[in-house]
Amino acid sequence: MAFKDNREYIKALDAAGELVTINQEVDWDLEAGAIVRKVCEEQGPSPLMNRIKDYPGHRYLGAPISTYKKLAICLGLDPNSSIPQIATEYLKRTNRPPVKPVLVDKKQAPCKENILLGKDADLFMLPAPMVHDGDGGRYLATWHFVVTKDPDNGDVNWGMYRQMCYDSYTMTGPLLPFSDGGKVFHGKYKPRGLPMPFATVIGPDPLSAIAACAPSPIPESDYTGMLMGKPVELVKCETVDLEVPAHAEIVIEGEILPDVSLEEAPFGEYTGYRTSPRDLRTCYRVKAITFRNDPITTISNMGVPTDEGQLLRSFSLCLEMDALLRSQGIPITGAFMWPESTHHLVVIGVKPIYSNIAAQIAQLVFGSKLGPWFHMVVVVDDQTDIYNYNEVIHALTTKCHPQKGIHIYEGAGTPLYPFLSYEERLKMAGPKVVFDCTFPIDWDPLSEVPRLVSFKTVYPKEIQDKVLANWEKYGFKAR
Amino acid sequence: MMLHYDVFVNSLADLPEDKELQLALRDLTPGKYKYCYKNVKALVSPDPKKYEQGLQVRFGRGQIHPAPYSIKVLEQVERIPERWR
Repeated sequence: MAFKDNREYIKALDAAGELVTINQEVDWDLEAGAIVRKVCEEQGPSPLMNRIKDYPGHRYLGAPISTYKKLAICLGLDPNSSIPQIATEYLKRTNRPPVKPVLVDKKQAPCKENILLGKDADLFMLPAPMVHDGDGGRYLATWHFVVTKDPDNGDVNWGMYRQMCYDSYTMTGPLLPFSDGGKVFHGKYKPRGLPMPFATVIGPDPLSAIAACAPSPIPESDYTGMLMGKPVELVKCETVDLEVPAHAEIVIEGEILPDVSLEEAPFGEYTGYRTSPRDLRTCYRVKAITFRNDPITTISNMGVPTDEGQLLRSFSLCLEMDALLRSQGIPITGAFMWPESTHHLVVIGVKPIYSNIAAQIAQLVFGSKLGPWFHMVVVVDDQTDIYNYNEVIHALTTKCHPQKGIHIYEGAGTPLYPFLSYEERLKMAGPKVVFDCTFPIDWDPLSEVPRLVSFKTVYPKEIQDKVLANWEKYGFKAR
Repeated sequence: MMLHYDVFVNSLADLPEDKELQLALRDLTPGKYKYCYKNVKALVSPDPKKYEQGLQVRFGRGQIHPAPYSIKVLEQVERIPERWR
């Protein structure tokens, strides 16, 4: 099953006990952000806020997909599904043929229930929250995507690029040059002096939002169809030649100006810090706003783990790495990122059949388009469960040689890395490291390779079976 | 003191007293338009009583400077060229 909009998804969250409905008035100025932040840090249910100060008729949904439970619900799975089960279902859907979107008439598009054009399209008519105290402004777009189009080949991109309300008709935000949308803007529109049309989609259905986060080369609208198992319904914009999901809550249309930059940030970011300096950034000029009746603005509150950016980027980045490495014939067992690493660290399991396989893995993933988003690769052997934190930490601290097993690389990185100096951020420096947690394959297995001492490895099978069969009789609780 | 605007700076040296400055201010008037940006030419002072309006100063990562300034807005400035408005 696939939810056609966030409203159906909210009902499913409620049914699973993953929603809290707040009917008392909530202030858009910090209170809503603080609620969502605490929910993220406690990995709690999503808050649906039905009354917002100064904005009657508007609502908020906070922390929409901030846990694996909610991700499972998005995919129509049992909320208690394990991470490998969720990954298996996700891969099953995203390995089928792309599903092209369908265009629907404006009358069938709830996002057209209200249309504001020209001077009526005032951003401050929308309840952009002040997410964190000290942010550079009110961020309307924290869980959303920005639709843009390549002027030469017509390729459409959906990307999640934060946007801050600057004044009534202007938003600002970083459109990083290595992002898909950034490549087209900085590489094509800007050098030609042309404005880039955009449409910001706030409160899309959950699978469209997940597709916008995924670093897949497949167009995001097709990718959404693959995840949904049916085409996503799109509708034409009012003032720009772009299409947006018909069931979205709010759509903001306009142009990204090629020759104007205005102040943006600071902002609490996915790394858990305010890192990127306040600076002159991309300028989005608004021409139209369309929205549903009683619209629901989605709020993601970036900060210390876990928010949906950390969770979904971790999830989709490692699945793309998994596909990349398998396509190159590398005998991996899988790839996994803990969201708590803010998608900076990936654990890759491999059957080490030849020397320096960890270096080959690192060079492949660092050199791919995924590379700028993470900087630590931990390569473990196929005896280590990549999803098991205890096993991975044990492998890292016992198998990685401090002099021979750690290799440093130069690369491209995001200026949001908290450990970079200001100069490094400006240069988008991306120092990277691989931790090789495999024993050298030329070690003699009898005389040189240490033997793992665990219940599973040092007791005969019949003893293991006997102990397990008697576990509760001994007086232990069943696990 | 009532704070009418705030401004982000890298250091207090960015706010020399009584010198005409071009600033991106945020309007702190309560209500829907709170935090809307205004680009202005203005005079500022670390003396909170020198000018009629209060100015909150913040630094690059959002930290608040504990002592409010005062400000006199001379004129608004439009930074977006006419062709894009």
